[in-house]
Amino acid sequence: MSDSVIEVRNLKKYFSVPGGQLHAVDDVSFTIEKGQTLGVVGESGCGKSTLGRTIIHLLDSTGGQILLNGKDITKLNAHQLKEARSNMQIIFQDPYSSLNPRMTVGEIVSEPLMLSGRYNKKQISEESDRLMDLVGIEERLRNSYSHELDGGRRQRVGIARAIALKPEFIVCDEPVSALDVSIQAQVLNLLMDLQDSIGLTLMFVTHDLSVVRHISSHICVMYLGQMVEKAETEELFTRPMHPYTKALLSAIPSVDIHHPSKRVLLKGEITSPINPKPGCRFYSRCPYATEKCKEPQELHEISPEHFISCCRAKEI
Amino acid sequence: MESKFLQVRDLQIEYTSGKQVIHAVNGVSFDLERGKTLGMVGETGAGKTSIAKSIIGVLPNPPARITGGEILLDGKNLLEASEEEMLKIRGNQISMIFQDPMTALNPLMTIGDQIAEAIELHSENAGKHAAKEQAIKILKMVGITEERYEEFPYQFSGGMKQRVVIAIALSCNPELLLADEPTTALDVTIQAQVLDMMNDLRRRLNSAMILITHDLGVVAEMCDDVAVVYAGEIIEKGTKEDIFDHPTHPYTNGLFGSLPMMAVGEKRLHPINGMMPDPTNLPKGCKFSPRCPYATDDCRTGQIVLDEITPGHFCRCIRNSKEAHNV
Repeated sequence: MSDSVIEVRNLKKYFSVPGGQLHAVDDVSFTIEKGQTLGVVGESGCGKSTLGRTIIHLLDSTGGQILLNGKDITKLNAHQLKEARSNMQIIFQDPYSSLNPRMTVGEIVSEPLMLSGRYNKKQISEESDRLMDLVGIEERLRNSYSHELDGGRRQRVGIARAIALKPEFIVCDEPVSALDVSIQAQVLNLLMDLQDSIGLTLMFVTHDLSVVRHISSHICVMYLGQMVEKAETEELFTRPMHPYTKALLSAIPSVDIHHPSKRVLLKGEITSPINPKPGCRFYSRCPYATEKCKEPQELHEISPEHFISCCRAKEI
Repeated sequence: MESKFLQVRDLQIEYTSGKQVIHAVNGVSFDLERGKTLGMVGETGAGKTSIAKSIIGVLPNPPARITGGEILLDGKNLLEASEEEMLKIRGNQISMIFQDPMTALNPLMTIGDQIAEAIELHSENAGKHAAKEQAIKILKMVGITEERYEEFPYQFSGGMKQRVVIAIALSCNPELLLADEPTTALDVTIQAQVLDMMNDLRRRLNSAMILITHDLGVVAEMCDDVAVVYAGEIIEKGTKEDIFDHPTHPYTNGLFGSLPMMAVGEKRLHPINGMMPDPTNLPKGCKFSPRCPYATDDCRTGQIVLDEITPGHFCRCIRNSKEAHNV
């Protein structure tokens, strides 16, 4: 018996578009254990945000299962889903568009408390005070509107709203990408503190590999809707196995001016996710591609707890 | 005595918004030699883009106004040049790569025509035909095949569009290239391709470049010199080695401390407290003092100057100046 909070099995999310089926998330499986953080990385269009939104059921899944504490949430009715939602939340990328401009900070933080029906008026006001204090928003901003706040404070409001009902699981969808580095560090510290103090389990979606290395215990790398590699964080950064992961890691500009990173430059750009061919989706850009790569690739364990979907990983 | 290629002296820029005056750039000075790259780092609103736009003369006036200083290109003050003269300089001697490739291109013109247009306007003897040939050559140089000449921007991905924007900027072999966050909108693997290409082309043309970015990793890979901008002032400048090996100003140190990459193995990051000061109401004395852990009364009241702490390495901080001169 494991204490996984979230377990995703063969999750699929396809969109119908002119020209066929867009495979945004294709057969993704993973588990996140209590108190851990799974980082999901990949480039724009790889399906990482869709994955996050599908897991907390903002989007209906096309296939597969999502187990929250062992219960499949893809089959819940509206009432049960509302219950489940209080246990899983999301923090969005853009703190500028994810807060209602016509609500004050206090109202935004109180809204989930009110909707839950668990609190009376006095408790709501006490609880929202506590939440604002917890995320570091000054009491004097209670009656301000979101447009009066800077990006960092807005994101703190978004975090307060997400943790209001004491969820166990939160999807963070690029929560610091829109922020300057010094503010980004403040928000990351806040998220890590909250994780320690209230025992959150996080899924952290980002394209910023240095952020993900810092905050995650495990990382999965996505490419065109599929998971290509999954491992414990330090293992992935020190021994990347998939050619795409290798290229991705080498592309991070290094701040070490005396030991510049050796780049693996990729040819071309990400190919279309509409009606993809059955073989490896990285085929057209991969420097090691062979005929064998045109066959479907299986995610397999290459060393303990290190999974990869590349048939040539052992040779290269 | 040979004068420097680009000299910016005590540049001051204000924006007016209603009755408020925003002090965007407050006395910025720096030099740049041919073939060198200067990295300009700082947070949103530090004034980096205003500096670049004032050099190429596209600062929108109003609301912006250059209230002082000079910008000398080969000894000629660009701020005194007429619009007619600037038209010749812009795109020819100086060109700029904008941050957002999605909005920098004309959606109703083919990619090829947009490049050819720049060439036709700026080379004296280029007819339509010669311009097209040249445009194809440049397109190939940035790694786009000739077949795509007749396509429109919407048919290109973000990385490809940024290549086109770079192709236009380089079409007239500029002596000075201003790159404003050229890869911020791109994914890392595409960013690596574009940076590689920019480096290659710049070396071939021996252009000088000002690279504006907030990404210290990009600076480390691309630049010779670095200027750190905060609230419209340069607070530290020097060679890349000066800044990366001996960051001296508390703000520069704060920027490095905020980087998750630098803190591997360390759980907490060391962010800078607070945030950028309100540019309509800048603090007296050191503009960083409200956020600085070392601030004293002298910092809050005194006039803090950019002081040379080691040859070529300048820092605007009295704490460091004192230490440097006592030692």
